[in-house]
Amino acid sequence: MKVDVVLFAHFSGFQPDGKGGRHARTFDLDEGTTIADVIAMLGLPDEPRVIFVNSRHAPEERVLVEGDRLAIFPPVAGG
Amino acid sequence: MDDTNRAPDLTDLRPHRPEHVEVEVPETTLDPALRARLRTCTVAIIGCGGLGSNVAEMLVRSGIGRLTLVDFDTVDERNLNRQFFFRDQIGAPKVVALAENLQRIRSDVRLDLVAERATHDNLLGIVRGACAIVEAVDDADVKAMILNTCLTELPDMPLVTASGLAGYGSTNAIVTERMAENLYVVGDLTSDVRDGHPLFASRVMAAAAAQAHAVVRVLLGYLEP
Repeated sequence: MKVDVVLFAHFSGFQPDGKGGRHARTFDLDEGTTIADVIAMLGLPDEPRVIFVNSRHAPEERVLVEGDRLAIFPPVAGG
Repeated sequence: MDDTNRAPDLTDLRPHRPEHVEVEVPETTLDPALRARLRTCTVAIIGCGGLGSNVAEMLVRSGIGRLTLVDFDTVDERNLNRQFFFRDQIGAPKVVALAENLQRIRSDVRLDLVAERATHDNLLGIVRGACAIVEAVDDADVKAMILNTCLTELPDMPLVTASGLAGYGSTNAIVTERMAENLYVVGDLTSDVRDGHPLFASRVMAAAAAQAHAVVRVLLGYLEP
């Protein structure tokens, strides 16, 4: 199945093409793949993060489906 | 001492201070129904430091009716370079000092003060009934907790967060983005105080102004930043 993946800020450097940038990359994933599986596959660091699927918040255990748009945002400190 | 070096005494030049002063956008430029809408709204501000104290000031001046102010901390000397506090408030709880300052601007603003650390357990109770939430804490873990909790449990409540406001970078890099359906993110997304970037009043307040304006826009019905 095809899923678009958007990584914000410094997470974008973990896109498989290594080119950074916040534009979506399309991943070809196995049925049943969860968000946690994608995070592990990308090797994202264990840092605070907020996850959206199709512009709605989603938990890491969510199973992705064809056509989903997964976005992961790491808030940074300062306020 | 030479009198010419002294600061002039302006006491007698201060005009009469009326009891009630109307502080909001004038009716001549904002529809009364929209002014009334702002007056009926409650905005919860989580964190009353560099972002939150300045967001609160701007929302009060914009005519928001009620604010919930949340912060566990006290005013410190090191806060005065960017936060809306004064020297004689050092040591006071931030929510108390901020309430004093806001009521000096607009005596009729309604304020609910929560002198506690926002946690996963108390957050929903604190923000219940608000029209919008402003995330204005400094710690990245707590930011993520607030976003994850509110977006999960209150997905229809607008939430304005900030990420990336430290350092010398141009304020032009601070943007407001609707990252998800009800999530507005202000900042450059990258400049992190943990990387040793300083916090300048000018840049922090630029982010605070963008947060406050995002709230005003959303409350007026403009959903795009």
